Amino acid sequence: MGTKTKWMSSFSHMSRLSSKHGFFIATAILAILPIFVQDPYLLNVLIISLIFAVLTASWNLICGYAGIFTFGHQAFFGIGAYVSALLAMKAGISPWLGLILGGIVAAFLGFLIGLPCLRLRAAPYVAITTLAFSEIVRITCMNLVDLTRGELGLWGIPNFPDISVPFLGVISFAGGVRIPYYYLILIIFTIAMLTFYFLLKSHIGLAFGAVRDSQDAAESLGIYITYYKLLAFVTSAFFAGMVGSFYAHYILILTPTSVFPVGLMIEILAITLIGGVGTFLGPMTGAFLLTVGLEYLRFLGEYRLMTYGILLVLVIIFMPQGLAKNIFRDKAISE
Amino acid sequence: MITGKLIIEQVFNGLVLGCMYAAVASGLTLIWGTMKMLNFAHGEFYMLGGYVLYFALTVFGIPPAVCLLLAVVIVFVLGALVEKIAIHPLLDKPGWELSPLVVTVGISIFLQNLALKIWGESFKNVPYFLDGTAEFFGIRMAYQRMIIFFVTALVMVGFWLFIKRSKFGMGLRATAQDRDAATLMGINVKKIYTITFGISSAMAALAAALLAPIFSINPWMGNAALLKGFITVVLGGLGSFEGAILGGMILGTAESISVVVLSSEWKDVVAFAIFILVLIIRPSGLFGTKEW
Repeated sequence: MGTKTKWMSSFSHMSRLSSKHGFFIATAILAILPIFVQDPYLLNVLIISLIFAVLTASWNLICGYAGIFTFGHQAFFGIGAYVSALLAMKAGISPWLGLILGGIVAAFLGFLIGLPCLRLRAAPYVAITTLAFSEIVRITCMNLVDLTRGELGLWGIPNFPDISVPFLGVISFAGGVRIPYYYLILIIFTIAMLTFYFLLKSHIGLAFGAVRDSQDAAESLGIYITYYKLLAFVTSAFFAGMVGSFYAHYILILTPTSVFPVGLMIEILAITLIGGVGTFLGPMTGAFLLTVGLEYLRFLGEYRLMTYGILLVLVIIFMPQGLAKNIFRDKAISE
Repeated sequence: MITGKLIIEQVFNGLVLGCMYAAVASGLTLIWGTMKMLNFAHGEFYMLGGYVLYFALTVFGIPPAVCLLLAVVIVFVLGALVEKIAIHPLLDKPGWELSPLVVTVGISIFLQNLALKIWGESFKNVPYFLDGTAEFFGIRMAYQRMIIFFVTALVMVGFWLFIKRSKFGMGLRATAQDRDAATLMGINVKKIYTITFGISSAMAALAAALLAPIFSINPWMGNAALLKGFITVVLGGLGSFEGAILGGMILGTAESISVVVLSSEWKDVVAFAIFILVLIIRPSGLFGTKEW
């Protein structure tokens, strides 16, 4: 993994926007966007973009910062979705609590899959192990027909109940409204990004970087790599599970094929790499670009996915380090 | 009723399935060994091999043996072409450990949807090359499965000899060991990469063409093959040819035995669980070297 240090090489471009400012500006724009955009279809596209932004940012934490190349992130998303939906349907637990519980169960799963990955050094080994694990979760979910209804689909998932917010009054999530969901996912996105920011800014971020660049060197300097690797798994899985739970109460119907597919992981990978792996704003940039871009390609009809495939190839050939490196001055957050 | 006979039959079926995993996996392991990249478009070359066989056999009525050869040659050329166009530009650029991943994912999406556009989503069925079953001591085996087993075994041995004995094979192994040193010895590394990619694709095509009469052909058939291929290579140890074969056999037999003991829905869970257990005990796979 000798070229990893090259990720750090383009840090000194002072003329570009710093990640911190870029993040605040982006969030501010997203917060006022519904004043201009009220079309339900467009809001849906934005909500899906934000779901992907959280999902890819959480994967970027483990892959881009801690250097653990996992390929089973969809398991955490799916388990968060199913846990929260089933708790709400079978045990009457509020979806608001489900957001947290979905995250906690996913984090526990992250801990479990983290354990066998601790001894694996090379990227493909970790990738395929986590992939096998996520396939086990998917097939189990598909086969437990009595609980999840399998491929028939779990439907009748409740909305988020109304909540009353000071100054704004009672906010209802019923009847296909989009704007409350938009703000809810924006809040989840902001919480996730701030958590990652402060995590990476602290000594934990430094330890992640050390583990990424050389595990042996990190260990010899007294960094307890088992702890930091598991921490990366747990944190990353928690937010993937939380956003999965949001997805369940937004889309209101789940099938194993819709929340656990390998295709979802491939999308996460493509978004993160096109945005820029190991950069703070890369996943967000990629998530909006690819989600919105794929919608714009709809006019191509059945040629849409073919074009998408070619675009992926071209972007990586001409920008092997992703877009964010060229837009934002990613002064290492952990400095 | 689970009888000894049934188990033996299933073991044989498992070995046939294992041959397919081994053929798909040996292509992946070859690419990892030489180029240090994972090829996510491998499943699509597998699919293309299936389609070439389908058209040659059912539309043009060419004899099966020639069809197999056609599938191998056509997909070899396609693989080499894809490497030239899409992988070459990435060589010696930063981010090599991840950039080929996304590029091959892009190629995979492109080829899958191209196949969908040209050939539609209907499943295509291919007749058995040879009908009928043979019986040994009361254990029945379909001729088709025996053909799969022997052809794959033959090709694997041939390939192994090619890697170990031929001049090209030596160049390939030299490149795998140390690219810079190989260049200094006058080996055209870029040409090696292109041919390696072609051979790897051709192996996948061969597996698909042999299996076409058992599984039907469709634009998505590569997904499952790719997943199993990856599991197989890591189980055997990435970069190890022997590992790919042994890994394939273990996965194949484990799956087909779990079909009778448990049920077919759980066979993949069993295979993946065995895989994770092996990695817990041997983190570098069965034949993997320590550095990985």
